[in-house]
Amino acid sequence: MTSTHAAAPPNGDRRTAKQKIAVRLEPWLYSAPVLILIVAIMLVPLALGVSYAFRDIRLLNPFSGAFVGLKHFRELAGDGAFRGALVNTLWWTFSSVILQFLFGLILALLLNQPFKGRALAQALCFLPWAVPSFLSGLDWAWMFNPVVGPIPHWLYALGIMSEPSNILSDPETAMWGPIVANVWWGIPFFAITMLAALQAIPKDLYEAAEIDGAGPIERFRSITVPFLAPTMAISILLRTVWIANFADLIIVMTNGGPADRTQIVASYIFTQAFRRLDFGYASAIALVLLVLLLAYSMLIVILRQTMLSRH
Amino acid sequence: MASITIEAITKTFGAVPVLHDIDLSIGDGEFVVLVGPSGCGKSTLLRMIAGLEDITAGEIRIDDRRINEVAPKDRDIAMVFQSYALYPHMTVADNMSYSLKLRKTAREKIAEAVGAAAGKLGLDPLLQRRPKALSGGQRQRVAMGRAIVRHPKAFLFDEPLSNLDARLREQMRAEIKRLHKSIGATSVYVTHDQIEAMTLADRIVAMHGGIIQQVGNPLDLYDRPANLFVAGFIGSPAMNFVEGHCRAGVIETTDGSKVAIPDGIQLAEGQAITIGVRPEHVRIVATPEIGTYTARVDLVEPTGFGTIVHVHLLGQDLKIYTLERGIAVVGQPMHIALDSARLHLFDRETTNRIG
Repeated sequence: MTSTHAAAPPNGDRRTAKQKIAVRLEPWLYSAPVLILIVAIMLVPLALGVSYAFRDIRLLNPFSGAFVGLKHFRELAGDGAFRGALVNTLWWTFSSVILQFLFGLILALLLNQPFKGRALAQALCFLPWAVPSFLSGLDWAWMFNPVVGPIPHWLYALGIMSEPSNILSDPETAMWGPIVANVWWGIPFFAITMLAALQAIPKDLYEAAEIDGAGPIERFRSITVPFLAPTMAISILLRTVWIANFADLIIVMTNGGPADRTQIVASYIFTQAFRRLDFGYASAIALVLLVLLLAYSMLIVILRQTMLSRH
Repeated sequence: MASITIEAITKTFGAVPVLHDIDLSIGDGEFVVLVGPSGCGKSTLLRMIAGLEDITAGEIRIDDRRINEVAPKDRDIAMVFQSYALYPHMTVADNMSYSLKLRKTAREKIAEAVGAAAGKLGLDPLLQRRPKALSGGQRQRVAMGRAIVRHPKAFLFDEPLSNLDARLREQMRAEIKRLHKSIGATSVYVTHDQIEAMTLADRIVAMHGGIIQQVGNPLDLYDRPANLFVAGFIGSPAMNFVEGHCRAGVIETTDGSKVAIPDGIQLAEGQAITIGVRPEHVRIVATPEIGTYTARVDLVEPTGFGTIVHVHLLGQDLKIYTLERGIAVVGQPMHIALDSARLHLFDRETTNRIG
């Protein structure tokens, strides 16, 4: 009798409350290690950072730490430096991304053509990616310096500059310094992703289009672009968010100057947190940046979904 | 409609030669099948006609116009690819009308041509779908539709049925044949499947190692294969080959059996010979007679319609294809006759047919 009972499918009604709880808990126990890790290293710091935005946290003031509500955000609304940084961020981000993307795509198209020594050329083209950002920032800062670097002299020789001066010290042109360094540094990312996407396009399609009468431009327009579009969208999204948050080159090359003309939101957060040591205010700025980037990401994800569903 | 002339075509990839001195002329409205094992150069030859591969040496002409240097789009040919190569982001209708749009054809004419092609291929209900939403057979049809809307001078098919399952392949094969009968366009069709070649072709071009082995109508290749390669490639189950030497007026096989030399064939004493005999031409006889052989049945493979019987005879695993059922029992002896008129003799040195 007992053996038949044991073999019968477990009947919910007969189980004790303890057993029911155990069954309910089982999946949670299995996933607990991962959940604890995620909570501990992602959610807790995030919540803590968000909470700082509503508290008065200044490292040099031992009596700070009180809850201040929306005070930081009210301050932010009237902060001219923040608004300037917001505009600079747009300029910095979009010119960097667009130029990186264009050059990366051109490079990928070139590297997708068979030629002698292609493997070596590919390796060389992807090299900037391996250079630490601080190092490339320093390199470029020196290259723009007329005392040690060649670029101002070239620009002067080409007649673009009236005298060999440092573009980083001119408020009108300073932003182009970090942008050029960033473009140089970021091209390989787009080249790699675009090349991978290009190589996934079946060669037959180009041949069929060639026989159908499509020239090189028409083939690019009607085959390459539709095939690359989803990859373009996702890599541009990733790069935009990454570059908007990317202050290394600016900190190293201009430190936000001259006259805040290269100050972006990310470097402004850095300045507020680590120069003025006002963690509360810095967290409030970071929260605003987070919301803006989330909104932007949603937009791109929706765009990509519509594009993919057309395939 | 056009004729295609291929003259002394040679192709090398780097230092690797793939086609040697190919000569072939394809008549107006003819359906020619290039057949051979993978790597024999048949696809390369087709792609050279299409303009997708450079011509190393020689000349290709369409209607007496040299096209070596003409761009693919100006050759006025259409090609159906093994992978179909449909544009995935375009609907069936857009796929079919793409070439006409690029040629700036009037909108009404495009609609008319697409409608006619869709009607012919039964694609009407699918015109607004994308390739992703089609089955393999439907994609195949769209690929053909895309080729026929343009009324090109010639159709090129590159193993168009290889990606379909057996039943669908049979169906599409018949459809391609019907389509060719109704359109009558010059067609060059590449396949590795000898059944496709036999059923579709007006003329078969059997290729091996970058060389044309034999050109002829399907039954010619079946009845009088020019060499060992063609003999072994055409026909299923494949032809049996028995090795022997000419000794004292008969052919002595490796196991010492003797096979009479067919009438009208002269062999040199000691000449190395390969005898070819098709499984369907080996006769099973009820009682032993003079000139028949006796062998034990090794294996019986029923195919439904017929039966393939394997026996060990003449130093070979000899296959026999018979329509009689229950005639062979594994382990039992069987009497076998070879009709000398049905034997194919090949010189083993040159591999060429004798007589």
